[in-house]
Amino acid sequence: MNTLLREAAASVQMGWLLGAMTVVFLVCFVGWIVYAYHPRNRELMEEMARMPLGDGGDS
Amino acid sequence: MERVATGTGAGVSETTVYDDQIVKMFFTATTVWALVGMLVGVIIALQLAWWPANLGLPWTTFGRLRPLHTNAVIFAFAGNVCFTGIYHSTQRLLKTRMYSDRLSRVHFWGWQSIIVAAAITLPLGMTQSKEYAELIWPIDVAITLVWVAFGVNFFGTLARRKVKHLYVAIWFYMSFVITIAVLHIVNSLVIPATLFRSYPIYAGLTDALVQWWYGHNAVGFFLTTPFLGLMYYYLPRAAQRPVYSYRLSIVHFWGLVFLYIWAGPHHLLYSALPDWAQTVGMVFSIMLLAPSWGGMLNGLLTLRGAWDRVRTDPILKFMVVAVSFYGMSTFEGPMMSIRAVNSLAHYTNWVIGHVHSGALGWVGMISFGMMYWMIQDIWKRKLAHPSWATHHFWLATIGIVLYTVAMWAAGLMEGLQWRALNDAGRLAHPIFLDITTRLEPFLWLRLLGGTLYLIGAIMMAVNFWQTIRGPERPADAAAVPAAA
Ligand code: HEM
Ligand code: HEM
Repeated sequence: MNTLLREAAASVQMGWLLGAMTVVFLVCFVGWIVYAYHPRNRELMEEMARMPLGDGGDS
Repeated sequence: MERVATGTGAGVSETTVYDDQIVKMFFTATTVWALVGMLVGVIIALQLAWWPANLGLPWTTFGRLRPLHTNAVIFAFAGNVCFTGIYHSTQRLLKTRMYSDRLSRVHFWGWQSIIVAAAITLPLGMTQSKEYAELIWPIDVAITLVWVAFGVNFFGTLARRKVKHLYVAIWFYMSFVITIAVLHIVNSLVIPATLFRSYPIYAGLTDALVQWWYGHNAVGFFLTTPFLGLMYYYLPRAAQRPVYSYRLSIVHFWGLVFLYIWAGPHHLLYSALPDWAQTVGMVFSIMLLAPSWGGMLNGLLTLRGAWDRVRTDPILKFMVVAVSFYGMSTFEGPMMSIRAVNSLAHYTNWVIGHVHSGALGWVGMISFGMMYWMIQDIWKRKLAHPSWATHHFWLATIGIVLYTVAMWAAGLMEGLQWRALNDAGRLAHPIFLDITTRLEPFLWLRLLGGTLYLIGAIMMAVNFWQTIRGPERPADAAAVPAAA
């Protein structure tokens, strides 16, 4: 194949890959934000924040 | 020698005996290697300012001592600091003893032997010539085996934990254990030729890309994530405050590990690497600013309401400056990843300034803070010379400022002079050596800064020595319950 064509083909594949990565990363990002900030998890988060205090872990 | 903690799981009182002996062993090794690594740093700094310090012997030339410095400070000093903190805090956060005392000892003695092997082979000129992965293949094999022992021990401990949820520090430690294994193995794949020599399985550009994928993530997962784990455990403990925002720490962790892995190509800007890959590296590096600064703010805000204590407590002083330098170097890094900025900074002393603002400012200071706190906890003694800790703090802080400012000035100067053109469109400074000799005053200033930093570390080591040999502290213990 002509080098120019090959480069063009490669860049298209790259575009798909980068696009898919962007979507996957965005979904993960939204996922962990929702987990961290969900009101249901508020108490757990506050408990976890205190875990280092005291020798044995959570108290 | 060992600490007992009583937890009341489901109404049943059970007792766990922590293995603090292994913590003490890693702690001691850390102190020793800190001095060795920084002393070699001062020696090579002298060599750059004053070449006769190379001594004319092959074993003591800059080319051989420089990798000795980087290996000693990263793998011996920073590595042992991480292990000290991980063995201490993991047991407490999971309320269980380490999975296997034997594996802990294999890890300790294996790692120290690897360091000794590095200290012998590097001055002899045995190297694979890959930065931060110089060690010859038999040592690489040993590193892999010791790391597996560590990994089994660490995850075994996780498996028998007595708490349900894993605190964020443990997640940071997990990323350290897993990624370093993967990075080390992939980058060290070679075909051995003799006992001391080997050929990499990668060639040309692929070799460069793998190397800097490794090199950058060595920074990310050896000098950053485990230390963030330490920050998230020891900063709240020393300040006696809960983490400012645990939610933010979750976003910090996942953001960081997702982005770091892709940022390596910022070491290969303007190289033969395809443009799109360079751009990926640049974009991910710039995005890294967000989680990094989130983490910095989370650390600083954990001190809200405790700022009055920062004025008097040297441990908190070390930690505040560490977190601030974490913020500074993670601001500088993304800026340096922008192509246009990198074209000025690359190959100059600016990069050395950036490295040491992270290494001396972040890694060094958080380690010192943790160690001053921990020695009083595990040896159950008050510091022999509390005021020395404050002196150490000031020596180190002034040392870092001298070091980094000198390198920034030197880097900017050489970067600008290399590229400067005169009216005729020719190089304004065509003789490279002229620019190099103009660096001299800055190199002496760096030597001064580094020497102050080393003197502080020596004071710390003497302080530790006299503390450990001193009388046991009465049971008023700011820290924890009874001993076994
Ligand atoms: C007393 C303290 C120290 C002094 C005087 C010192 C000095 C030096 C010098 C002179 C170099 C070579 C620079 C060049 O080639 O132009 C260097 C490189 C380096 N040092 Fe240090 N250092 C010190 C502490 C540390 C610490 C504690 C760490 C890490 C935790 C560290 C990490 C590094 C790294 C990673 C490099 C290689 C940088 C690169 O290739 O861009 N240093 N150091
Ligand atoms: C968001 C975070 C960071 C980014 C985006 C970043 C980016 C960069 C860039 C662009 C370079 C220069 C590459 C070159 O032109 O040769 C560099 C070099 C370096 N950085 Fe960072 N940096 C970050 C944080 C840190 C931290 C916290 C540390 C230390 C604890 C560190 C240690 C180093 C080292 C050791 C090098 C020298 C590598 C070498 O050439 O040997 N970086 N970094």
